[in-house]
Amino acid sequence: MKNSSKLVSFLVPVISILLAFIIGCVIMAILGANPFVALQSLWIGAFGSLRNVGTTLARSTPLIFTGLCACFAYRCGVFNLGGEGQFLMGSIVCCYIATQSGIEGLPAILLCLVAGAVAGGLWALIAGLLKVYRGQNEMIITIMLNYVATLFMGVVYTNWLRDGSVPQTVSVPDSTKLSRLFGLRVTTAFVLALVAGLLVYYFLFYTSKGFQLRAVGLNMTAAQFNGFAVKRYILMSFIVSGAIAGLGGSAELLGTQFRLINGFGSGYGFDGVAMALIGQLHPLATIVVAIFFAALRVGSTTMQAATGVPTSVSDIIQALVIVFTVAGLAMVKLPQFKAFLGRLTDKKQKEAA
Amino acid sequence: MDEFLRMEHVSKRFGDFYANRDINLSIRKGEVHTLLGENGAGKSTLMNVLIGLYQPTEGTIYLNGKAVRIDSPAQAVKLGIGMVHQHFMLVEAMTVFENIILGDRNTKGIFIDKEARKKEILELAERYGLDVELDKPITEIAVGAQQRVEILKALYRGAELLILDEPSAALTDIEVEGLFKIMKKLTEEGKSIIFISHKMREVLRISDRITILRAGEVITTLERSETDGQELANLMIGRELAPSHYGKVEEPGSPVIQLRGVDYHKESKHNGLNGVSLTVGRGEIVGIAGVDGNGQSQLAQVVTGVLTPDAGEVDMKGSKVAQFTPNGFILENVSHIPEDRNKMGLIGNMSVKDNIVLKSTDSPEFSSAKGYHLKKKAIRDYALKMQEKYDIRCTSIEQETRNLSGGNQQKVILARELEGHPDLLVAVHPTRGLDIGATRFVHDTMIEARDKGCGVLLISADFDEILEVSDRIVVMFEGQVMGVFSGKNPPIEEVSLAMAGK
Amino acid sequence: MEFAMNVILSSVRMATPLIFLALAELYSQRAGLVHIGLEGLAAIGSLSGFLVSLITGSPLLGVAAGAAVGILVNMIYAYATINLCAEQIVYGMAINIFAPALAAFIYRVYFGAGSELVQVGLMNSLASMLGVTPTSFIGKLFLEQTPMVYLAYALVIFTAIYFNKTKSGLNYKAVGEYPKAAATLGINVVGVKYVACVICGALAGMGGAYLTTCYTTTYTDGNVAGRGFIALAAVIFGRWSAGGVLLACLFFGFCDALQIRLQVSSYGVPYQFFQMIPYIATVVVLAVIGMKKAGPKGVGKPYLREER
Repeated sequence: MKNSSKLVSFLVPVISILLAFIIGCVIMAILGANPFVALQSLWIGAFGSLRNVGTTLARSTPLIFTGLCACFAYRCGVFNLGGEGQFLMGSIVCCYIATQSGIEGLPAILLCLVAGAVAGGLWALIAGLLKVYRGQNEMIITIMLNYVATLFMGVVYTNWLRDGSVPQTVSVPDSTKLSRLFGLRVTTAFVLALVAGLLVYYFLFYTSKGFQLRAVGLNMTAAQFNGFAVKRYILMSFIVSGAIAGLGGSAELLGTQFRLINGFGSGYGFDGVAMALIGQLHPLATIVVAIFFAALRVGSTTMQAATGVPTSVSDIIQALVIVFTVAGLAMVKLPQFKAFLGRLTDKKQKEAA
Repeated sequence: MDEFLRMEHVSKRFGDFYANRDINLSIRKGEVHTLLGENGAGKSTLMNVLIGLYQPTEGTIYLNGKAVRIDSPAQAVKLGIGMVHQHFMLVEAMTVFENIILGDRNTKGIFIDKEARKKEILELAERYGLDVELDKPITEIAVGAQQRVEILKALYRGAELLILDEPSAALTDIEVEGLFKIMKKLTEEGKSIIFISHKMREVLRISDRITILRAGEVITTLERSETDGQELANLMIGRELAPSHYGKVEEPGSPVIQLRGVDYHKESKHNGLNGVSLTVGRGEIVGIAGVDGNGQSQLAQVVTGVLTPDAGEVDMKGSKVAQFTPNGFILENVSHIPEDRNKMGLIGNMSVKDNIVLKSTDSPEFSSAKGYHLKKKAIRDYALKMQEKYDIRCTSIEQETRNLSGGNQQKVILARELEGHPDLLVAVHPTRGLDIGATRFVHDTMIEARDKGCGVLLISADFDEILEVSDRIVVMFEGQVMGVFSGKNPPIEEVSLAMAGK
Repeated sequence: MEFAMNVILSSVRMATPLIFLALAELYSQRAGLVHIGLEGLAAIGSLSGFLVSLITGSPLLGVAAGAAVGILVNMIYAYATINLCAEQIVYGMAINIFAPALAAFIYRVYFGAGSELVQVGLMNSLASMLGVTPTSFIGKLFLEQTPMVYLAYALVIFTAIYFNKTKSGLNYKAVGEYPKAAATLGINVVGVKYVACVICGALAGMGGAYLTTCYTTTYTDGNVAGRGFIALAAVIFGRWSAGGVLLACLFFGFCDALQIRLQVSSYGVPYQFFQMIPYIATVVVLAVIGMKKAGPKGVGKPYLREER
């Protein structure tokens, strides 16, 4: 019983990905490209060489952070859609410290990362307090705060930290940049993301607090009746998930982008939500999904060069994966589907007998 | 008498489970026909088939001698079948009037003709003695009045057959009298009534004929005049039920919890407490008797720290409680079997194992490093031990509790709540919806806890249950304590009067 | 005075897309379906409106196309939440990811990457259709509006009457409040929910199309700019009634109009701070009205007929 449900929760996303690719191929064919060539170039672009793998992993890094942010919050029943805003607030604070404090090198890096996490956590806490003490819908609040954060970042790169005539901030000093791994595009930020993922995993499934947090997320009333400090857990989940996103923002700034500019971090929040949902709120699965999404994006550039299919086809595939996965996961929970599965296994047993 | 409805060989299957099997039933015009059976005997399913919510897997339904298909509730309404559900199907955000005309197909026009409809409804109400206030929102009228709205709703749709599902469960004695009067009037006018109940006294009083259901099948149909309570009870349960009598404790130990003049939203008659004082001592079971919705839920939540009283004092083992939090009471060794196991007791999407250790993962037994590392093996071993001890039937301790039967869910809660040897156990409707075997298990476990020195506060709407296990009986009505009686040979007449507020 | 009049005039314009979106949400929630995917529906509606009005030269056809595509995309949501009982919030989110991606993709495919900005003509105002040029403030307010504005107000009035005075509206509300009770009275719960999704998709698509047929001459990714979510807030703020929703939308429209005017007349303050006004106003409004939980009781819960 347990194994079959595990199998199903693994199969649903896999089948969804296959379906999404099939539809993607049909679209490519309609656009006049050879789908097989396109898929091949997609693969080569993402994983064809060590260099490309490095690029894919670098691209996946911010996605892992926002994915973990969503994952952690939803485990506590909090629908934090504000990963993007928290990511940005982290990167803004990080940018200030990196460029204005005069500190450089490792101390600056550590300070930047911590400050970024704190900034993200505090930004999320606004929504947390409004939910806990004013009973507000955290989805709307976090989304609104995303827009505020984006605009605030605009103020920073067009005004306060503007780099001459170009609407972007000055670059962080070279010594404060995160070091690359094996000379590839991927930096220590990726390692940081993996560590964050493992920590979240350990916390949720191997500690008493994590266990209680999940209980709160699954049934708030019962958790309250069983003596858990529900409000504290909800606030904690806002802060921690915001901190993860904020850390991601700092890491992205110090590892890949080096400066704030229009479009920085854009869309990462919703991407994170999508990945957490496809990964069924499992932190490690979320990481795998993030790498898959990054591969799609990196590979699609090569695909465009080779076949002329626009890169946004990868966005469509990605969007279809989420549409199918969420529907699929709902479908397998239907009693009719369970009965259907039951009949299938009955038959098999009868045939075996 | 003419026959109105007949079911022949009706079965309803869910997967491999037969909720109803080969049912034959006939309802005459102008009779009160009782369906008698335990929880899970298939009464509700059968009625849902009759009102078109479920489709029968096999069998035929005849109405006035003609075979009919009832494939939707709309069809049932058209055929003159109306039902008053145990949990009222009333839209709380709407008024009485709106609820009655909801889904109306008999009148033409797009807009609601308020005046004309109201006139029709009031005429009907007068004819059957159904007293209702049309413009009041549902939330502002009493339970008995809500029930009259439900009956009126069915009559307004032209119901010839009225199904009343446990109509007296939530009513006071006076309200029940009123209901019976209405039922008499209805049958005099030629309407048929299917009455679903397991309160023997009422069944014997009001029925013309009685059909007994057991495990989804019809056992027999009897004329009221040819049977008695003992026979019905035996038929319903399927064996001679030896009246089990637990020994009663007359001298309880020192007080575990004491309430003095506790108020909570006392202006609310149905969801408040008004000057409640009571004591539960070590080694006794105090049963709170009363009709549902007279403050019992609030009482349970005050003595488990979920609600903070507005006034009054609560002493826990001799010292005054300063702060009301569930955790504070848990630390005082108070256990709670909450009234809604799925909503309040269990995390349905977590496993049996996780639910058993839900409260204790912080303890050194199950985690090290101040809770930063769970001892998974210790948890597993413990859960297996509990599964065995409390006879929890599940495919494995990893099974999610939402997939368990009610009885097994309750056993998971018992294992969690009683294993720590609590000083006080608050049990709210602990056997609601359970079969006889599971009920007996719950009662045995409570008695066992009592004998080990635990004080038990039992809240139940099931009067028989209260009589069975309580050492003392406290009656509540509209948030007030109406009287305290000994559990040994209690004066049943007096207790029932107190339950009705007299 | 000039300033105030301008703000009021543009408030009406800015409130219109919100009215469409908020009514979309209202119809959805009244049938028990909370829909956080309006942002996505509006995005695809906005692109459809843009493309069709570009191709046909008729903004009205553009709006119709927005409605049609909105319905189409919302049928995915309908099937998933009604038949498959997917969680409404989660599936709304899926729509928010899917629909804008689809819009962006179609735009790229149609115009090619990196092409220059394509512009379309906007819908004429009633005044120019009648061939008059109002000069007074009142004249401008009532005549210098596109037909979409009048339609929005007509829809508000219709909705108020429908939910409060008609039999069908009463039944519709019952589905959102207590679907099981509605079913026992012979109301087709699944049918009403599908109707709700059709109305919601159409209105959300039209709200999106308004942006490209009546407001700006171009389509850009992200042009809905959170209006789908502000509409959700407007429904809560408007306490689930058509009139309340209208007032809430006018308020948020006013915030939007105010920020645009302030941007123009700013003195050295970065314009982004003004742009934050509608978003911050939404947060503040929600925080102030607090947790008085109203709204249909059946919202968010799946409805299964043969449930055991």
